[in-house]
Amino acid sequence: MKKVNYLVISAGIAVGIAALVLTALGNPANMGFCIACFERDIAGAVGLHSAAKVQYLRPEIIGLVLGAFLMSVATKEFRAKAGSAPATRFVLGAFVMIGALVFLGCPLRMVIRLGGGDLNAVVGLVGFVAGIAIGVVFLKKGFTLQRAYAVSTVEGSVLPVVMTGLLILGLAAPALFHASTEGPGSKHAPALIALVIALVVGALAQKARLCMVGGIRDLMLFRDASLLYGFVAIFATVLVGNLILGNFHLGFAAQPIAHSSELWNLLGMVLVGWGSVLLGGCPLRQLILAGEGNGDSAVTVFGMILGAASAHNFGLAGNPDSLNEAKELVVGGIGTAGKIAVILGVVVLLAISLINSRQEVEAK
Amino acid sequence: MNQYIATFHTHVSALITTRTLTQNGISARMAPVPRKLSSSCGTCILYAADDPQQEKMDRDVEHIYRISPQNQYELLFQNL
Repeated sequence: MKKVNYLVISAGIAVGIAALVLTALGNPANMGFCIACFERDIAGAVGLHSAAKVQYLRPEIIGLVLGAFLMSVATKEFRAKAGSAPATRFVLGAFVMIGALVFLGCPLRMVIRLGGGDLNAVVGLVGFVAGIAIGVVFLKKGFTLQRAYAVSTVEGSVLPVVMTGLLILGLAAPALFHASTEGPGSKHAPALIALVIALVVGALAQKARLCMVGGIRDLMLFRDASLLYGFVAIFATVLVGNLILGNFHLGFAAQPIAHSSELWNLLGMVLVGWGSVLLGGCPLRQLILAGEGNGDSAVTVFGMILGAASAHNFGLAGNPDSLNEAKELVVGGIGTAGKIAVILGVVVLLAISLINSRQEVEAK
Repeated sequence: MNQYIATFHTHVSALITTRTLTQNGISARMAPVPRKLSSSCGTCILYAADDPQQEKMDRDVEHIYRISPQNQYELLFQNL
C-alpha cells in the first residue's frame, strides 16, 4: 500500500473519531460533523435566515478553514489563486447546499448517518453516486470552468480572514449572533473543544486531500481508489464507535434529523454529487481549498451560505420525521417549494454542464 | 525512453493532451496528481517518450517533470 493511502485512512479515522466525540459532547445525533448543517447554522447566527432552531456560530467551520490555512502555510503549500468562473461557482455552491439541506446533510454527514444505521442515507448515497456519474460524463465530454490564476496573498486569504473575524467576534461579543434555544442549533459541543478538534481535522484534511466526492469520481475516471479510503475509513470508524456506544439504530423511520421521503433524499443528493464534481470537490473540500488560498472555493462557500439561507427563507429544506402525541410516525420531507427548487437545480446544473464545455473535445 | 508526468490546471486540458499524445503513438494515461507534487486534486498524465513532448501539451499544462528511476521528480517546465 502506498504511503499516501495511510495518510488518507488516518485522516478518515480522525474525522470519524472527531464526529463521535463531538456528538458525545453535545452535537446533534449523527451530526458530529456536517458542513451543510453547520454553514446553515452560521447563516442563521448572522441573521441571513430566521429559522429559530438552526442558528449557531459553529466553531467547527471556522476551525476547518483555519486548520487547513495553518497547515498549508506551515508546509509552504498556501497558493493564492482565483478566477475560475467564480460567479458560476457561487451558483453551484448555492444549489449544492439546497440539495444537501433537502437530504438533511452534506456528503460527510451522509457517511456519518450511514455509520449510525440510517438507511435513508443509503438512498442518499445512491443519488450521490448517480450525481457524480452524471458529472463525470460531462467531464469526459469536455466540461471545464477554466483555469485559475495566481492572485495576491490577500485575495487568497479572504475566507481565513473572514473566519478569524467571526471567531474574534464570537468570543468578544457573542450577543451579536443569534443562537437557538431549541432544536439542532441549540445542541453543540463546548465551543473551544469543537474549535480545537476542527483545527486538527482541517489540518489533516488539507494534508490528505480528504474529499467525499473525489474518491468516487477518481474511481470512475481513473480506476483510482486512493481518496475512497478516506470515505470508507470515516464510515468504518463511526460504525464501530456507534456500535460500542450503543448509538447504532438500523432503519428508515424516525432517524435523527432525517426524513424518509426517499425520492427527495435521492434527488437532493444527485444535486450534491453532480454539483460537487463540477466544482471539483465536496463541501468539506471547498472549505479546505479556501483555507489553502483558493479564492474560487471561498466564493463557493459564500454561495453555499446563501443557498442555506435561501433553503430556510423559502422553505426548501427537508423536515425531519417525527412522532406525534400518539407516538405515531409523521413522515417528514420537503414541501412544494423544495421540490421545485430541486428540479430547478437539476435544470441549472444541466445548463452549466452543457454551456461550459471545450468544443474540441465534443467534436471528437 | 524516459518516464514523464505532466500536471494541468484543468481536467479537460489533460484529456485533450492525452488524446494528442496517444494519436502520436505515445503511451499516456491520466491519473490523479500525486500528493507529493500538489495539494490540489487535479489531473495529471503519465507518459513514456524520448523527450518531454512540450509542443504537444494543451494550453492549461501546469508542470512537466521527468521521473527518475529512483521515483524522483525533476521539474522541466512550468506554466503558472
